[in-house]
Amino acid sequence: MNKKEILKLAKGFRGRAKNCIRIARERVEKALQYSYRDRRNKKRDMRSLWIQRINAGTRQHGVNYGNFMHGLMKENIQLNRKVLSEISMHEPYSFKTLVDISRSAFPGNKNVVLPTRKVNVSSINV
Amino acid sequence: MAAQAAATTFNGNLKKALAGLRRIDLEGLRWRVFDAKGQVLGRLASQISTVIQGKDKPIYAPNRDDGDMCIVINAKDVCVTGRKLTDKVYYWHTGYIGHLKERTLKDQMAKDPTEVIRKAVLRMLPRNKLRDDRDRKLRIFADSEHPFGDRPLEPYVMPPRNVREMRPRARRAMIRAQKKAEEQEQGGSQRKGRKKEAKTEVAT
Repeated sequence: MNKKEILKLAKGFRGRAKNCIRIARERVEKALQYSYRDRRNKKRDMRSLWIQRINAGTRQHGVNYGNFMHGLMKENIQLNRKVLSEISMHEPYSFKTLVDISRSAFPGNKNVVLPTRKVNVSSINV
Repeated sequence: MAAQAAATTFNGNLKKALAGLRRIDLEGLRWRVFDAKGQVLGRLASQISTVIQGKDKPIYAPNRDDGDMCIVINAKDVCVTGRKLTDKVYYWHTGYIGHLKERTLKDQMAKDPTEVIRKAVLRMLPRNKLRDDRDRKLRIFADSEHPFGDRPLEPYVMPPRNVREMRPRARRAMIRAQKKAEEQEQGGSQRKGRKKEAKTEVAT
């Protein structure tokens, strides 16, 4: 019966939602809606996570994510972000060569200018 | 623990500094030292918050807390720009009606300079369940003594910063203030009897 299936799907829910059919029905419907939505969101979240990991990995070598990807596109290296994040986690030396390839293809524009600037020192205790 | 007790020429709140260290598992973490002397408050706090979240490691995962332990020293020498020393106000509400309390940055630095950096970093962390654990990983000290001398510490090198040019009006004001300071020094180095001559110099 539908009731049995619903209560089976409601395992692990909080409070009465796992035991009482009227509440469980609502919660299960909502859970199924969320899971539909999140099957699509998961692809976005995973890509965002790969990008964060690649960013962290490249910044360790002094290049940020944007310049890195631009360099790879210039060199026509078609590795996707998933693979690049895996490489950055588990194969650090290979990743370093990728960063060097990207840097030679597109040197980053880091104009570091440090003029002397007046900064108010909070000298209370001094 | 005995080594730590020996290494403390560090008075005051040793208990606070070591509080909750046992709760932090996974001592495969590094200990990074940030020197806040001469650093701008917000920019330093943003760097600290990236390190505390573990976002500079390629093994970052948003569901677990993998950040390094951060030690900040010289917290009383942190700088702010503009008029924030007198104009930046920390507000908090006590829960009772009408009791919105406030305190300026100057008073807060006089009272407890570590709170300034702690608030800044805490407000930059994502508001989730890991926030309290990340707060526990952050240790701030007002001067340059800290009881973690026996750990393998790594100083954090701040990334180079490109400071924008001063706006013309602010630049002119700065030049005027510099000139005034120079003339005051020259006027003070002469004797008091020659005060009138110094005044005429300043006037011209």
